[in-house]
Amino acid sequence: MELEIILALLMFAAAIGGLLAGYPVALTLGGVALLFALVGIGLGVFPEPHLLALPSRIHGGSVMQNDKLIPVPLFILMGVILERSRIAEDLLHIASRLLGKLRGGLGFAVILVGALLAASTGIVGATVITMTLIALPSMLRQNYNPRLASGTIAASGTLGQIVPPSIVLILLADAVSNAANRAATEMGPGTSFVVSVGDLFAGALLPGLLLVGLYMAYVAMTALLRPQDCPPVKDDGSDPLTLQEILFGLGAPLFLILAVLGSMLGGIASPTQAAAIGAAGALMLAGLRLSDGEFGIWQKLIVGAFFSIVFIVAAKNLLDLRMGVETIHPVNMVAIVLTLIASVIFLAGVFAGGYILHQKTQLVSALKSAVEITSMVFLILIGASLFSLVFRGFGGDDLVHDMLAVTPGGKWGALIIAMLVMFLLGFFLDFIEIVFVVVPLVTPPLIIAGFDPVWLGILMALNLQTSFLTPPFGFALFYLRGAAPDELKTLDIWRGALPFIGLQILMILMVATFPALATWLPSLTR
Amino acid sequence: MDPQIFITLGGWLGWLGIILLPLFILPLITLIIPAVIGSYSEQLVQLIQKITHGALMVCMVATLALLALQLLVVIAGYAFGLSWTWLSEAVMYAFACMFMIGAAVALRDNAHVRVDILRPRFGPHGRDWIELAGLYLFLFPICIRILTTGDQGLTRAWMIFEGSRESDGLPLMFLFKTLVPVFAVLMLSQGLAEALKAALRLTGLRPDIEHTQSGGDTYGA
Repeated sequence: MELEIILALLMFAAAIGGLLAGYPVALTLGGVALLFALVGIGLGVFPEPHLLALPSRIHGGSVMQNDKLIPVPLFILMGVILERSRIAEDLLHIASRLLGKLRGGLGFAVILVGALLAASTGIVGATVITMTLIALPSMLRQNYNPRLASGTIAASGTLGQIVPPSIVLILLADAVSNAANRAATEMGPGTSFVVSVGDLFAGALLPGLLLVGLYMAYVAMTALLRPQDCPPVKDDGSDPLTLQEILFGLGAPLFLILAVLGSMLGGIASPTQAAAIGAAGALMLAGLRLSDGEFGIWQKLIVGAFFSIVFIVAAKNLLDLRMGVETIHPVNMVAIVLTLIASVIFLAGVFAGGYILHQKTQLVSALKSAVEITSMVFLILIGASLFSLVFRGFGGDDLVHDMLAVTPGGKWGALIIAMLVMFLLGFFLDFIEIVFVVVPLVTPPLIIAGFDPVWLGILMALNLQTSFLTPPFGFALFYLRGAAPDELKTLDIWRGALPFIGLQILMILMVATFPALATWLPSLTR
Repeated sequence: MDPQIFITLGGWLGWLGIILLPLFILPLITLIIPAVIGSYSEQLVQLIQKITHGALMVCMVATLALLALQLLVVIAGYAFGLSWTWLSEAVMYAFACMFMIGAAVALRDNAHVRVDILRPRFGPHGRDWIELAGLYLFLFPICIRILTTGDQGLTRAWMIFEGSRESDGLPLMFLFKTLVPVFAVLMLSQGLAEALKAALRLTGLRPDIEHTQSGGDTYGA
């Protein structure tokens, strides 16, 4: 074998060793790559100019000037605010009180709330831990089968990766679109693929909703066949929920999610714009949720801000508000002034939300979490791009290409191998690392073989989601174990996940057999 | 203003960096003679963490600015059909600030994800040794490499006070590019603090930390 191939393989092995040692993933990937590049330069098998480009890669269009990734910190901010303001917690409380009287009702509540939280925060760990802390004890108290309870929670938590607007889907869209461009250049002129964040969101919507349906069907089946596993909640004599509680606790987050998703899938807003609106909406809702009636004027400002949004949308659609045109009709002039005032009220409302959050000492901690999660994601992007740069410099991408080409079974064989590798890597790498390291390597050959990029992206997302649910190393199960009471046996957590893994595999097979499940919606929005 | 002043200043900063390089042996000296040097190391840790805390403040402001500026972009574009390149670029600057400066904060608070499969079994001392190895093998070389390969392009950017490619963009591209060495310096200094903390824990001058799921209260994404 050639020296550079040996170095490329050794580099992969060294990275895995370093990762298992437990040093931060981003720095391990980057550091191993740098060391091997230096060895390669010393042995004369690595072109040094590759490495000189490092700073310009960081401040260039793939990291710091990558405006496709601007929604990431905004969605993270939105999720953290909803979590810190206990809106996520309320959602679960209300849903379980509403549905608890049914057989399997708590299970339904967990699945639905999991899907809603997935659509609003998109952070798997946070969702699983919140639900484990709140729903699991009450499920166990109601004599739910611990396996069913923990399986439902872990599976619903992982929905955050597949139900849009998931953060990892944004990252995946970026990686797949780069891979598609690479494939297009190799296939020669005339071929081009467009993969936007909106495409992946639209593509993931149907599979995500179908998964929610499958989970619910499973709980319903259990309720029918083994009613002792998920008994209805006995009346605990607490006050019934007031209509206002239900309307605010359930309606407000639902409205926010629909506004963000709808504007994005409807093509009105780009993901960045929708994310900004989502974060602003979360800030206002958080202000209302935490105010407890002691912030009179600030609260009124937030309510006013909601009305001004309605006004702005109405005025925009009924009249011509453009300021850049030559002559402005007097009616439009008045509308423009009123809309400007409405905009100021809206911004003031967002500020008021932030002010109340600050007074309740939640703003600083929310911002800190948002900064740290964002930095974590982007440092992995930097480390992983250094890793792929060096791996390519050694000709590693040709190696992957050749390996996929010689797998038996043609392009389907190659797809299955690629999926299996990602599934196994999903045991010890986070979704983000796999997206940044593995997707750029395996996707271009698969696209050249003739697979649709959006469909590939959705399959990969479903595949990784399954991997996070699979014992013994699934991430969701770790989070659940960490937050669950000690009485819950780890073996029960593992067994509980099995039926849901079955449902996941069913879903993957469905998308593989009927590609339209993933590609139909994106083709509409184009 | 004459760019030559800044080039000279940059040269001095480079020398300052080289003069400060021996500090990176301090964690190793702390391991050998903790009794003599331990308290100085602890003071240095506190000083560096103060700087990193300042970086956190900058990041929080950047986060709020990102949201506020992006909201302005949305309203101006949606309602009034207006768009300015400088405003969109300001959004991008805030976005980049958030993680280029925030990376060191996340390092301080152990918010960078780790693989947690074998980690709990290494025991507190094993984890400290891994920390030291990772810092000296991975973090320091990466940052030093970034600092040493980036200076030529950066000099050029400062020489002409490089601005935006667009005529109505922000004329601050040279500052934007400077975020890369700022990132490297902040990561180096916080990395030094992490190395000192690991050394102080190994010599018993700081209490061992319990193993916690990495990511602190962030739980990954």
